[in-house]
Amino acid sequence: MKFNKAWSVWLAVPLIAMSAAACSKTNVSRIDPGSVTDLSGRWNDTDSRLVAAQLIDQSLNGAWLDRYADANGGAAPPVIVGEFRNRSSEHIPVRTFVGDLENAFVNSGAVTLVAGGDERDEVRDEREDQQYNARAGTRAGLGQELGARYMLQGELQSIEDEETSRGVVGSRKEKIVFYQVDARMVDLESNVVVWAGQHKIKKYIERPPLGL
Amino acid sequence: MDERMKIFGAALLVGALTLSGGCAKKHVNEQPIIEQGERVDDGSYAVAEARDRAEERQRQAADQRDIEAEALATCEGDVCDAVVRDEVWLGMNETQVLAATGTTEAAWNMRRSGGSTVMTPRDASMMPSDAVGAVAMVQLAAGAVSRYGYQESQGVRLVSSPDQATTEGRAAEMAEALLREGDELAAAGRLEAALDRYDRASILAPDDPLIDYRVASVLDKALRPLEALIQYELFLHRLDLERIEARGEASARLAEAIALAQQRIVVLERNR
Repeated sequence: MKFNKAWSVWLAVPLIAMSAAACSKTNVSRIDPGSVTDLSGRWNDTDSRLVAAQLIDQSLNGAWLDRYADANGGAAPPVIVGEFRNRSSEHIPVRTFVGDLENAFVNSGAVTLVAGGDERDEVRDEREDQQYNARAGTRAGLGQELGARYMLQGELQSIEDEETSRGVVGSRKEKIVFYQVDARMVDLESNVVVWAGQHKIKKYIERPPLGL
Repeated sequence: MDERMKIFGAALLVGALTLSGGCAKKHVNEQPIIEQGERVDDGSYAVAEARDRAEERQRQAADQRDIEAEALATCEGDVCDAVVRDEVWLGMNETQVLAATGTTEAAWNMRRSGGSTVMTPRDASMMPSDAVGAVAMVQLAAGAVSRYGYQESQGVRLVSSPDQATTEGRAAEMAEALLREGDELAAAGRLEAALDRYDRASILAPDDPLIDYRVASVLDKALRPLEALIQYELFLHRLDLERIEARGEASARLAEAIALAQQRIVVLERNR
């Protein structure tokens, strides 16, 4: 009898350990990139998409496109994307929503997007290289770049507010995070801001004590 | 028994305190506007709408290409060359002006009275432009351009004769405008800014000795005697080379400037 009891204990321990290990297995599933998934409450893909959707809607419905087209025989305005500054307290990759905005500009045909920054430097290097190494008829010509008329600039700012209501064992944490993204289209000749867009996100993050 | 009671009491206390933390008053009672698991818009609807409008604008661009074709079909000589160069030119008709500026009628306000038409930009902040610059106005008399103006940093530069339309004519007009601006700045006591305008004007009109005289005067007023002396001497030297003909108002102005320059040279050399 004693022997059986000891064996059952020895068998039970590894079984429990194995079950626990099975529960902690890594699970990966592909999910819809458009789904809202908030885990920590920090800036995430949902915020980026919300900002992108709003800026796309505001910029492509702005009167500046019609005004430019009227003054230029129906042409689409040439735009270069300048700097989007992250002035928030978080690390936020702003290129995600700026990239969405660029895609929308190109795919709508409403804006002629001119490459800028590192992208432009890389293209210029390649063009320079072609002048020495490519066959004459296939060389990309020099001095044929399209000058942008407008520069898209912007910034992201955040404000945080939090409070902890303490009990002896547990405490409730409440936090408000407010993000504001501002974007502007500036005329490179006159510095006139021809379009300004904005999106605000306010998040309420609540952490009850002991997961209650 | 007592031991059990103690443990039970402690557990009760811990539970109550935990609950008190959990039941602490919630400060924000707003309903969420997006719930976990919902789907967010990716802007594709706005892109599709914008694409439709862009296609509409492309039809406007097609109209503009028709205008260019018509402009080239009806032009002759210098006007034809100017249309190809995308430059407004004297003698152009309305269609040719639209072709040269790459616009349609949507870009302009047209005021017609009698045989005259004045075209001004519909949107002052977005002026149509040709290869030279932003076109501020075009005037047509009897269907042909008689005068037009460019919006430049010194103001509107008017072109009403073929000479003014050339590169030299443009440089002379710009130099004139810079001199006017320099004079105003000098009169306001902003001597450094005035010098900057005179220097720029002297590049555009290198043969005008009066610019040297203006530069010398401003340097003199700015208490930079050595530079002023050099400029006065340069002014007189260049006049000698040119052999002034003492005729008309311009020469009278020069004569006065010569006398003043000579006086200042004497004074500045004495103080050196």
